[in-house]
Amino acid sequence: METPYISSASISTALRHSILQMQTQLTQAQTEVSTGQVADIGLSLGANMGQYVSLTQQLSSLQTITTTNNVVATRLSATDSAMTDMLSTAQSFLNNLVADQNGTTSGQVMQQQAASSLQSLTSDLNTTVDQQYVFAGINSDVKPIADYAQTPPSAAQQAVANAFSAAFGTSQSGTGATNISATDMQSFLGTQFAGLFTGSAWTSNWSSASSQSTRSRITPSELVNTSVTANEPAMQKLAMAYTMVSDLGLSNLSQGAAQAVISTATQTVTSAISELTDLQASVGTMQSQVINANNQMSVQTNVLTTQINNLDTVDHYEASTRVNELTTQIETAYSLTEQLHGLSLVNYL
Amino acid sequence: MNLSDAMNIAQSSLASNAAQILILSRNIAGANNPNYSRKIALVTTSDNGASQVVSVGQATDQALFTSMLNASSDAAAATALSSGLDQLQQTVNDTQTATSPSALIGNLSNALQQYATSPSDTALAQEVLTAAQSLASGLNSASVTVQQVREQADAGMAASVNKINSLLSQFQTVNNTIVSGTQAGSDVTDAVDTRNSILTQLSQQIGIKTATGSNNSVSIYTDGGVTLFDNVPMSVTFQPTTAYTASTAGNSVYVDGVPITNSSSTMGLQSGTLAGLANLRDNVAVTYQNKLDETARGLIDNFAESDQSNPATLPTAPGLFTYPGAPAMPANNVNPGLAGAIEVNPNGDPGQGGSLSLLRNGGIADPTEAGYDYNPTGAASYSGRVQQLIGNLTQTMSFDPSAGPDTSDSVTGFAASSVSWLEVAYQNATNQSTYQTTLASQTSQSLSSETGVNLDNQMSQMLDLESSYQASSKLISTIDNVFNTLFQVTA
Repeated sequence: METPYISSASISTALRHSILQMQTQLTQAQTEVSTGQVADIGLSLGANMGQYVSLTQQLSSLQTITTTNNVVATRLSATDSAMTDMLSTAQSFLNNLVADQNGTTSGQVMQQQAASSLQSLTSDLNTTVDQQYVFAGINSDVKPIADYAQTPPSAAQQAVANAFSAAFGTSQSGTGATNISATDMQSFLGTQFAGLFTGSAWTSNWSSASSQSTRSRITPSELVNTSVTANEPAMQKLAMAYTMVSDLGLSNLSQGAAQAVISTATQTVTSAISELTDLQASVGTMQSQVINANNQMSVQTNVLTTQINNLDTVDHYEASTRVNELTTQIETAYSLTEQLHGLSLVNYL
Repeated sequence: MNLSDAMNIAQSSLASNAAQILILSRNIAGANNPNYSRKIALVTTSDNGASQVVSVGQATDQALFTSMLNASSDAAAATALSSGLDQLQQTVNDTQTATSPSALIGNLSNALQQYATSPSDTALAQEVLTAAQSLASGLNSASVTVQQVREQADAGMAASVNKINSLLSQFQTVNNTIVSGTQAGSDVTDAVDTRNSILTQLSQQIGIKTATGSNNSVSIYTDGGVTLFDNVPMSVTFQPTTAYTASTAGNSVYVDGVPITNSSSTMGLQSGTLAGLANLRDNVAVTYQNKLDETARGLIDNFAESDQSNPATLPTAPGLFTYPGAPAMPANNVNPGLAGAIEVNPNGDPGQGGSLSLLRNGGIADPTEAGYDYNPTGAASYSGRVQQLIGNLTQTMSFDPSAGPDTSDSVTGFAASSVSWLEVAYQNATNQSTYQTTLASQTSQSLSSETGVNLDNQMSQMLDLESSYQASSKLISTIDNVFNTLFQVTA
């Protein structure tokens, strides 16, 4: 009969090996309990590590875009409030014009009102956020509109004076101005004067803004326009209406010519208000785009966080149970070693 | 039959007991030596009834021994590979601390996104530059690590070859002792133990097969079939390479002039430390270096600047990321060592006399050429170029097949899939190493359990021998008494 055989060395080595193994596992379990994350993420994820890296990156990219969206939102809200201000100025100017259709207000008062409206428009268009001009398009470090009434005269003021004297052979305050007929004035306003507020005349005399509006990435895949510029027709028309009332020597003109100026200004402001409203609506759209993008990204962020947690976190309860089990096992192994040591025939001889 | 015969038999019993106690004490001495095999006294009874120890045998289990050799070779190969991969994967393991090229690309992309929103902010431009510099130096240091791993593997192979040669010459001495001892009929069991221990050590360095010939002589072959030892050791030669670059190819190990660690070798080595290190040095690390080089090329391509004037006359040139071969673009396949050479263009770095605004406007390739300027008006909030760069990072491009199966991906995706590839290799190697090491330790335990010494067993045998010795002594003294009685009667 063959009896099973075992050498003394293998009895003790078996225990020694298992103690070593359990101690290694114990350190891993301890790390997992204390950090809440798997001890060696590369080892436990393997092929999924690439996915983990991508998810982590997507998450941090979403967080970055959410931060940059706040900057965009601040700018848009500054734009919006500047436009609200422009609208209310234009509206009250329009009210004054309508009230003046019957010639009750003096020309000088009208001129002053128009000049202050123009100033208000200029300051609105020069709104800055964080030292950047929000209406300047991409050319955000240059003040888009120079002060019209400054001394020495601005390029815009100069251009208006030149056009006036070219058309009528006199300056706005000159005595000849009183002789300008209503028809001549009407034709001047419709052609030479209107030409000063469009195209290259506008960009060279009035505006340093770029017509290219700033573009921002508001989600990882959406690149949208996030500004309106001072070169929009609504702004040009407002500037034109304010300028014609303030700087064509209204008080100096004949009744007919003055009437022509007032009525043209009324038409211009009316159309500018409607265009400005549309423009403000588009800013509103941009704002809601940003808000939607943030909401969408916040949902994505939650999903990503859950996915990442699924990959890299360990069950706290499971890990601490494992620590307890291992501790018990190791203690058992110690006491076994001690008992086996006593278990020798030599002790009985 | 007479009393003298009884006396002789009792005497022989004493001698046989003494011989068995000698063997027993050898066994007890070797009880904790894992290479020691239990010795067994072969006792016979002669014609006149006397017992004697004719020879010494030993407990063996050839099948277990062979599987133990195989297991230890496999375990050694897996351990060598896994410890190298462990070092390599340190370059990517933790994305939280952002040391992997993949995480650094993510950081750069985030910095670009912030800069794109406020392109006039030079602090954000500085952040882009810093992120780009960390990315370039991350790739540089990953590349250095890969080449260090290859250098260490090469040095390990040289050490392994020395060890193999020294073990083979020891083996020759012991084998000769056994052959001549066997011919002379003397006790060679301890020499066999020594020879087995040499074979065990050898199997850790190089996968082996053994064949026993006449007179207990053993020949050794590599697991690929090349003769390592046949009466005389074959010379194992290796020319170490001390410094590695991405384009360095390490030398093969030769046994008697036959290459055994070449991938093209028909008698290639399968297991043992040597095979694991050669695999690490020639395959795994090389592929990973290719992946790093391709990532670097992807970055240089993505950030390259093209001529914006119409018609375009200037060639496309490396922009923010450049390399010593600029202004030419790197070739559209693996450029060995590109990851080690990639750097941030000094034209965009104020610390090196460059200008940060070029990050927004373009022209990093050559600030003196107006063609590379994407923003000729110098608008402060121009973000088109930066947005384009962000887009490029996720734009699909093609990668060299020698850098792995991911041949069509964005540079961001490629960097992430490189992480996957490396972690898969690391996971496999670690699991394999754990499994093979456990297997090897279990086989060696089974072997030791079968052929080792059980102290209690030896002790009880000792009691038997003691009783037998006492009985024989008693017998001798009784016979002596009988003789004395007889002499007194006759006297």
